[in-house]
Amino acid sequence: MSPDTTPAQDAKPSRVLAVVDIGASSIRLHIASADAAGVVRPLDTARQTVELGKDTFKRGEIAAETTERCVAALRSFRRLLDEYGVSDPAQIRAVATTAVREASNGESFLDRLYIATGINVEAIDEGEVNRYTYLSVKPVLDADPAFRKADALIVEVGGGGTRFLALQAGRVAVAQSHRMGALRIREMLEGIHTPASRLPDLLASQVESAVKEIRHSVPLSGKPALLMLGNDARFAASILQENWNPETATRLRVSSLAKLADNLLRKPVDEIVRTHRLAYADAETLGPALLTYVRLAEAFDLPSVFVTGASVRDGIVAEMVRDTWTEELTAQVENSAVELGRRYGFEEPHGRNVARSARALFRVLQPEHRLEARYELLLVVAALLHEIGLYVGNRSHHKHSMYLIQNSDIFGLGNRDREIAALVARYHRKALPQANHPEYMALDRDSRLAVSKLAAILRVADALDRRHGAGPSETRFDLAEGRLTITLRGIPDTVVEEIGLQLKGDLFREVYGLAVTLQTESV
Amino acid sequence: MAATSDTIRFFNRELSWLEFNQRVLDEALNADVPTLERLKFLAITASNLDEFFMVRVGGLKLISAAGVTAQDPAGLTPREQLDRIGDRVRRMVRDQYACFLKTLDPALAAAGIQRVAASQLTRPQRRHLEAQFNPTCFSVVCPLAIHPEAPAPLLAGLVLHLAVRLEPREDKKPRFAVLPLAQPLPRFISLPGEARHTTILLEDAARASVTTFFPGETVLEAAVFRLTRNADLSVQNEDAADFVAEMQQVLDARRQSRCVRLEIEAGASAELVAEVRRLLEVEEADVYAVPGPLALSDFMALTSLDGFADLREKPWPPQPSLTLTGTAGLFDILDHRDILLVHPYDAYDPVLALLEEAAADPQVLAIKQILYRTSRQSRIIAALRRAAESGKYVTVVLELKARFDEARNMDWARELERTGVKVFYGVKDLKTHAKACLVVRKHPQGIIRYAHFGTGNYNEATARLYTDVSYLTSNPDLTADAAAFFNAITGYSQPVPYRKLIAAPARLRARLIELIEGEAERARQGQPARIDAKINSLVDREIIEALYAASQAGVTIRLNVRGICCLRPGVPGLSERITVLSVVDRYLEHARIFRFHRGGEEQVFFSSADWMRRNLDRRIELMIPVDAAACKAHLLEILEAGLQDTAKGRLLHPDGSYAAARPGRGQKAVRSQKALYDAACRRAEDARQDKRTVFEPHRPPDA
Repeated sequence: MSPDTTPAQDAKPSRVLAVVDIGASSIRLHIASADAAGVVRPLDTARQTVELGKDTFKRGEIAAETTERCVAALRSFRRLLDEYGVSDPAQIRAVATTAVREASNGESFLDRLYIATGINVEAIDEGEVNRYTYLSVKPVLDADPAFRKADALIVEVGGGGTRFLALQAGRVAVAQSHRMGALRIREMLEGIHTPASRLPDLLASQVESAVKEIRHSVPLSGKPALLMLGNDARFAASILQENWNPETATRLRVSSLAKLADNLLRKPVDEIVRTHRLAYADAETLGPALLTYVRLAEAFDLPSVFVTGASVRDGIVAEMVRDTWTEELTAQVENSAVELGRRYGFEEPHGRNVARSARALFRVLQPEHRLEARYELLLVVAALLHEIGLYVGNRSHHKHSMYLIQNSDIFGLGNRDREIAALVARYHRKALPQANHPEYMALDRDSRLAVSKLAAILRVADALDRRHGAGPSETRFDLAEGRLTITLRGIPDTVVEEIGLQLKGDLFREVYGLAVTLQTESV
Repeated sequence: MAATSDTIRFFNRELSWLEFNQRVLDEALNADVPTLERLKFLAITASNLDEFFMVRVGGLKLISAAGVTAQDPAGLTPREQLDRIGDRVRRMVRDQYACFLKTLDPALAAAGIQRVAASQLTRPQRRHLEAQFNPTCFSVVCPLAIHPEAPAPLLAGLVLHLAVRLEPREDKKPRFAVLPLAQPLPRFISLPGEARHTTILLEDAARASVTTFFPGETVLEAAVFRLTRNADLSVQNEDAADFVAEMQQVLDARRQSRCVRLEIEAGASAELVAEVRRLLEVEEADVYAVPGPLALSDFMALTSLDGFADLREKPWPPQPSLTLTGTAGLFDILDHRDILLVHPYDAYDPVLALLEEAAADPQVLAIKQILYRTSRQSRIIAALRRAAESGKYVTVVLELKARFDEARNMDWARELERTGVKVFYGVKDLKTHAKACLVVRKHPQGIIRYAHFGTGNYNEATARLYTDVSYLTSNPDLTADAAAFFNAITGYSQPVPYRKLIAAPARLRARLIELIEGEAERARQGQPARIDAKINSLVDREIIEALYAASQAGVTIRLNVRGICCLRPGVPGLSERITVLSVVDRYLEHARIFRFHRGGEEQVFFSSADWMRRNLDRRIELMIPVDAAACKAHLLEILEAGLQDTAKGRLLHPDGSYAAARPGRGQKAVRSQKALYDAACRRAEDARQDKRTVFEPHRPPDA
């Protein structure tokens, strides 16, 4: 979308990247070029209507006809990709969201796509979508003074769900998705055969309950800036504001938006299609979607809202460009974890100490574990949250921690990442990873190895912070000749830590096979 | 043609077109124009009338026969229009033949282009005919016997036929036959002779030997006739797979549709005329007695004879583009600036260069092109083939419904597909009339795209005959729009909003109305408000009404409408501030350029669309804004020149008549096409001067 000016550390020379996004009502292709400095310029976009949502939300599975339509669309996209010289699979990221994930035949659908087109489509979950949304919107937030350091609510009413990110003073506080999407609402109402006259009321009540839940989840007290994303919002912008610029945040009056929504809800879909020259799939979701935005704005008592053209696809491209996560994004994820910890009354200083040590140890041990930088973040999240299980109870609190992490929204982490973090937290005490632990065995081999490596570090880091407030002022790790030396400053002796390591260093010894020496250093 | 009262807001479209044809005929009647050019104009009026009858009159007859009596915007029913057309055409035919027989034919003869009648054949000429022509003629021409009870034979439209009346046999019943003089027989048969160029017309040669076709018979009379069939049939395009097959059916159907006009020699006997009329089921009102050679359109062939420079205008060679004379390739130039060309003053070569360089450049990944009425041996087709063969992704949108080129277009389609080009056969229900081309090329900095937009077809031949605009650019917005446009018309994507381009049938009409109404609003607010437009036809009611409203609001509107104009200018209370001018000169005006004053921030566009309903609602068209300063200035130069033409310009009056635009007192008449040609020459000369004063060394490729 807009040029991303953060310099990339591992930026490659100029290349062409492509994103394929299979949504509830359409398949989109987004081709962009990224130069050596990481500046992204959009090249081409294409969009075809394929009504996956209709199949999944009504009947729970994707029809064969829809699948073939999808194949045909992807084949034409394949041709477009060829025309831009995009041949290497590493240049393409293809994702599918709710409509495919929730379909009972979602996996075989994706297989069919791969066999027919050679394009490997991955089903991504809401956590990842939120991360991409954040990445796509960040340039807009940074560029506009109204948003920087302010409270903001970024909302997208999609076909299958409504996603929102709540930012507090620029930090991600909440990232969630709500299962009420514009298409799903429509399908549901049509599914229960409501008489036409009752439709507007039922629609309104569905939207109301969704809005109430969202309002409740968002911990923002004042009047946040509400930033709308998505096709329906873009349509509203083009109607209400001539020549609106999708690269910035455009302000719209809620009263005008409300009038437009009301107008659209009264019209039959055929008329909307004709008047505005839209596809049927687009016309059907307009009314419900815009109504949702309006009610949400009203729930926060806002006179105006903003809209921008950023999309998940821009976020995916941003991530492809730099391959690793920026420090800023990492910080946001950690913030989100801290927020979660606070919700469960965790002992914040202890969590942060353990996280700090864990991070340092991860970096020192890089040549040994050889894990990507992303795993450092998962370790930090696990370290911060390893004791939130205490909220539930003391006994087996490590298992409660795992459960709480598995079932909470942590901004930026997809399901797989969250699983790993949850398991690392679980293994911070007591039993080591074993074959009769179902959650552990549910992971693939690489992930299981990662969990072991990270949990080993976490146990050590935890062992080093047992003095509850009177801990070392500084902890240093050095690795040399098969020996890890841990230097602690600001404590008289290392007795407490020695005992801790005896109890919790078992996994470390198993995984890394390193001798460990503890020593103190005077300040 | 007179508009009957001031309550009539529009001129009738067909009658307006006939006045356009009259303006072309006026050039044939103009003694200041060289003889062969006059002959060219005369031939054009004839082929114009052929198409007019096939399509417009044909269409009117169909709806009239269906019982439609609805009035058109000018208040005429189909029947009334047909009557008026008939009257007007008869007058026009009289003028055509007066011109030919009294002026042009004698002038041609005096200049050495001799046409020999059958009775004037000398012995050597007769022998030449018998040796060279007759064998071909006899092997090709097949006499068709006409029996009153038998079904009428199928006669092709627009082909000359000899209607022959034979001596009755014992039963005294009249006997007739028809000799179709079809392809491959030439209209002009060369003869040996003293003049520089001696010919005999096909029908005269055939007539001279007509008895040979009927051995043992007495030929009482042989008269030439020509029929014109209705061609206004639409193609049902449900099924893309059968599409090519259906086109074939339309071509077959055309041969069989009803006859809308019968032209027959004035000297034919009443009996013969009656028989031909019966055969073709033609009403008396549709019979045109022609006092000279039929099918004057064929005389176009004489205008391209070698030599006879004194009978022609001095050639105006298209000027080389200043840009392509250096060592830099076209892509390198376009990386730094846009190029705007106006053909044929500016040569068409840069457009060909875009494709030829694209085909040869290994950095080019893909080429997309719309083709419609391209010439047979087009360099463009060759370049596209080469590109496909070298592994580039070539996509062609081939408009199969280009009216009379359908047969030609189908052959290439298959040829292109064979070489690996992905061919799309247009868009369902919409004729692809936009002219655009896109090249995708790799750069070290990423991908750069280059686009060509034009008002003329991708046809090197017509690029020398019509005035047209070509715009070459690498502008990111315009090329992104071009990419999105191709995605939309090839079905790869639903249409997405464009950044700069405006397309029909989606937005073009609405945007034009917005621009016109915007100007009207400025006038109401006291700002100077102006609209200048150069188009080929102005027929659309909504646009005309918007222009009327703008005029009433105070906008000054100057229109250069080459052909049909249904707007009535200069009517008090309706269109006082609107002036309409038409320019008919050696090049057929074809470019469409608009300028909206917008309080000083002028917006200039060029477009593939005329202001007719079919362009705005039923075709795929593009309107391109030109912002690059030099290109904008160039377009305005064209626009102004046309509007100020006092040599070939004709002003339209409120009553529908046209009168020559005269220069002001003491001023010389300005001929816009000549002025533009001179300007192009000056620019080319300046560029050559630059070359002589600033040296451009050959640099090694990586410098």
